[in-house]
Amino acid sequence: MAVEPAQATYYGLPVLKRPHWKWEIVLYFWIGGIAAGASVIAAIADLFGDEEDRRAAKAGRLIALPLMAVAPALLIKDLGRPERFLNMLRVFKVKSPMSMGTWGLTTFGTFAGLSAFLELLPFHGLRKLAGLLGAPFALFVGGYTGVLISATAIPIWFKNRLLWGPTFLASAFSTGIAAVQAALALAGTPSEKLHQADTLALAAEAGLLGSSLTRLGDAGAPLTKGRWSTLFLPGALGLGVGLPLLLGLFRGGRTLALIRSLCVLVGGLALRACVIYAGKDSADDPQAYFALTGRNGSR
Amino acid sequence: MSVRSSVGFFTDTSLCIGCKACEVACKQWNQLDSDGFEFSGMSYDNTQMLSATTWRHVAFVESPGAGAPGAQHNWLMLSDVCKHCSNAGCLQACPTGAIVRTEFGTVYIQEDVCNGCGYCVPACPYGVVDLSPIDHRAHKCTLCYDRLKAGMEPACAKACPTDSIVFGHVDEMRQRAEARLRTLRDRGVTSARLYGVDGGAAKDTEGQGTLGSIFLLLDEPEKYNLPRHVELPQNTVLPSSVLTAATALLLGLGAALIFGRSSRDGR
Repeated sequence: MAVEPAQATYYGLPVLKRPHWKWEIVLYFWIGGIAAGASVIAAIADLFGDEEDRRAAKAGRLIALPLMAVAPALLIKDLGRPERFLNMLRVFKVKSPMSMGTWGLTTFGTFAGLSAFLELLPFHGLRKLAGLLGAPFALFVGGYTGVLISATAIPIWFKNRLLWGPTFLASAFSTGIAAVQAALALAGTPSEKLHQADTLALAAEAGLLGSSLTRLGDAGAPLTKGRWSTLFLPGALGLGVGLPLLLGLFRGGRTLALIRSLCVLVGGLALRACVIYAGKDSADDPQAYFALTGRNGSR
Repeated sequence: MSVRSSVGFFTDTSLCIGCKACEVACKQWNQLDSDGFEFSGMSYDNTQMLSATTWRHVAFVESPGAGAPGAQHNWLMLSDVCKHCSNAGCLQACPTGAIVRTEFGTVYIQEDVCNGCGYCVPACPYGVVDLSPIDHRAHKCTLCYDRLKAGMEPACAKACPTDSIVFGHVDEMRQRAEARLRTLRDRGVTSARLYGVDGGAAKDTEGQGTLGSIFLLLDEPEKYNLPRHVELPQNTVLPSSVLTAATALLLGLGAALIFGRSSRDGR
């Protein structure tokens, strides 16, 4: 006897159209987050830290600049009509995260360049001021990508609309700090403060990811049960958050700090890839969408 | 012509005979490319969905008669189209300003401005807007903007032989839909309901405003692949941004406290 489907659909055809975003956007979400996190932690180390933290500040700024140089190129390459990328700067729409993202990225990129340049000059006050002024824009770039995917109809993105922004922001912190820590570990000695700051960001990320999956329930299936679960569960959750938190319990030298940082960085990439590609699978599922839009839909 | 009074469609599925004249007229007038010759096996619907090159799509829902052999087969047909929402997700998402509200109150993509970023595609709660694999820009029903400019009705409405598709001012369309609903209910068609009319029988458009394309359905909206209640995706932006900013503040504060301590202390 045939099993009755949970909800009538139209031949099981998708209601929604899949977003076309591919590896360029995955990579951008990842490096944009790293640049944002590295830049913010550099500003914080510069403003609140002492002489020993100058290494972290300098490394953070020198990491953020090249990433911010690559980011716009990736975004332009993703466009259907790359030669028209300047059309993004025709309008300023507060309700469109992509429009705001364009402006945020432009401003953050400018500050990233300025801060890296000032690292080479002896103007300490000016450098700190540029870090302070640039930090809000860096934080914006770290988090707006989560808001951007939330402001769509895609079930797995829309249902968890309140938490994708905070989750991506926490991941921007954890991966950005990990990148700086990896650079310091490679150069000599890792920083204990970066270690603690990354543990804080990872703990926040773990909590947010857990809440997100709980909130998503069945709508989270493309991440927890679908084909992306094979990357998401061991990669984004295990390697990116679980293992680094575990490794943080042990006292170790530069090798351990380096391994931990690399885990966080790779996990952050897995997280972006899984969330974007799971969105495509979610768009294809009419049952998941009708569960959100139906009479008894839990919105 | 006097403007500021929006125009739109009323698509009455109780009159649709599934002839697809609307699909063909739309393709011809708008010079849309072929979708190929795929055989779907889904009743008479080989078109399957709206796309960059299909701006009217006739859905066929076939329900075999229940009970004894020879019981009457039930057919539902609906010509789907862009809803031309009064609060349009695609228009609000568009970061180039390529998607605009026209003087006729319709939602229109300016093809010379669109740079194919694709954000309007997942921002449409009805799955209407699509990126073309041919020119890599977003396309959808223009409500025959060129014909409206010339004082003509859209090609699909013009071609419809049963007036299942009618075109006119939105207020008038709504009155017509409500009158038709009363008539059908009086005749005992209890399954008839309106779609896309605020406060109508189905109240289907929370957050999306009134739709420029309204429908009279003979079954649940989902049967026709229409979502029942949709929320404007951009309603998410403010609360999501506030929570993200709060997270940023907390993590930044935590990091500042960690860095504020002397490096000599720990370890």
